[in-house]
Amino acid sequence: MPEAIHQKNPSNTLAILYQKFKNNNGFWILAALGPVYFLFAAIRIYPILETIRISFYRYHITKKHNPFVGLRNYERLLGDDAFHTALINTIQFTVLAVVATLFLAFFIAILLRSIEHVAPIFEIIFYIPVVTPWVPASVIWKWLYDPMYGLINYVLYFFGIPKQGWLQEPNLIIYAIVIVAVWKMLGYYIIVFSVGLKNIPTTYLEAAEVDGATPLERLRFIILPMLKPIILFAVVMSTIQFFNIFAPVYVLTASAQGAPAYDLKVVVTEIYRNGFQYYRMGYAGAQSVVLLVFVMMMITLQFMAFRKGNE
Amino acid sequence: MFKEKWVKITAYIVATVFAILVIVPFLWVLTTALKTPAEISVWPPRFLPSRLTLENFSQILLKEDFVRYMLNSLVVSLGSMFCILLTSSLAGFIFAKYKFPLKSFLFALILFTAIIPIQVYMIPIFIMVFKAKMMNTYFAMIFPMTIMTFGVFFLRQNIMSIPDSLIEAARIDGANELWIYFRIVLSLSKSALMALGIFAFSEAWANFIWPLVVVTTKSMYTTELGLAVYQRQFYIEYGAISAGAVITIIPMIAVFMILRRNILQGVTTTGMKT
Repeated sequence: MPEAIHQKNPSNTLAILYQKFKNNNGFWILAALGPVYFLFAAIRIYPILETIRISFYRYHITKKHNPFVGLRNYERLLGDDAFHTALINTIQFTVLAVVATLFLAFFIAILLRSIEHVAPIFEIIFYIPVVTPWVPASVIWKWLYDPMYGLINYVLYFFGIPKQGWLQEPNLIIYAIVIVAVWKMLGYYIIVFSVGLKNIPTTYLEAAEVDGATPLERLRFIILPMLKPIILFAVVMSTIQFFNIFAPVYVLTASAQGAPAYDLKVVVTEIYRNGFQYYRMGYAGAQSVVLLVFVMMMITLQFMAFRKGNE
Repeated sequence: MFKEKWVKITAYIVATVFAILVIVPFLWVLTTALKTPAEISVWPPRFLPSRLTLENFSQILLKEDFVRYMLNSLVVSLGSMFCILLTSSLAGFIFAKYKFPLKSFLFALILFTAIIPIQVYMIPIFIMVFKAKMMNTYFAMIFPMTIMTFGVFFLRQNIMSIPDSLIEAARIDGANELWIYFRIVLSLSKSALMALGIFAFSEAWANFIWPLVVVTTKSMYTTELGLAVYQRQFYIEYGAISAGAVITIIPMIAVFMILRRNILQGVTTTGMKT
């Protein structure tokens, strides 16, 4: 038996391993997956870990010596009023935008199921803002919000309401950006909910109807329970997305050139300001870690619920 | 879903009202782009321009060099799309059709990082690009967008549906793995590659924060960046700004309209955005 002979000699054991490796396409797997995974490590895993590492350093990009400062960046975070404001604004924005987007999307998706033959036309219309990038979308709205000649103030004026400084009033600007966000993402979540709604077996609904359940009862006792996984997916996705809001805030708020608007702070604008305008990368790293922890919490929530659903 | 008449009537009214609310901002910006400066700032505002002018477009395309910005966006988006299609199909193929140690761990790691947005980890990538003296280059703009974790997952799902017998038969006929990748895997995943390609292209086209960070001269601006910077500097030039918005949006809407079926199909089967 050739195998028995090989076993005796260590160099032949290597030869067997080599043969096995070759027979299982080891070279091809290494050659194909290796570079891709290396790239994945370089632009995803390493940056995530490195963000955590530099949050413990006073890191300036042009300096040779970047000293370890322990938790000093995090201590500073606790006393940084700008960051507190940014965090509160971001949470407020996210809650409003998620609730408004998902509630409206769910409502419209359900209504579209009753007019199924024309639903595709509406779905395409609602999807146009989704394919519009954030920057031009925000530019459009900046013009609509214009205090002097904007369409929105004209509509208000038409109904006898005085003109508002949508982007100038600290109390209004957050709602102004929520409206942009809802307008932009509504279509996506309408499609997401539509998928779930179409998968509900019609026999369930028909049976309930025969038993005399009103539309609201059918919604409450059949549709909502069956849609739970999709609703959770939508909550997690939209929360992560809105918590990381940046482009519309950059476009719609005040600028160094003095565009007349209020300077609304959110978490990512703070990271941008500290990291890329002042090059305080260790401190911006600590702020990024706050963002990372939040995102990881959301992902874990999703994974846990997914596993529970599969049991 | 509901056959009651009042539900249907509500559905028509609500859907129509929201459709109008969604569309009006686009029409408003389009008509503004075609108005003269004098007509833009009149009160009460007029919806349709009394005289059409293309001056705003020539201002933004020729004087502001948006042609160059669009070319930059095209280079970056095509580059990113090509890299993502290559890396996703290779990794997707390996994860779908081969057995090797640590496979499920390596795949889980990819899945777990899939929805972490670039805002979280862009600082170290910026330091890498800066230290490599590659700031303000196409390479820097494409670099973090050369893989898409979601793309690996998506193509793996698709390639798993290719029958093993087909691949075995090719092997018996003496085909090597590279040939199988090109001739069987790629040619049988055409529609998945197309869906992922559209998605990757538009993600790169719409990207804003990364170009904002690594681009330092106007000649390397993408359209997104050019538009954002321009509207901050010349915030009263609504005509030109609107023209800029229109030319940034039109390619995206055109692609969507042509391929709307594939795109909406992509959302319904996998949940991908754009």
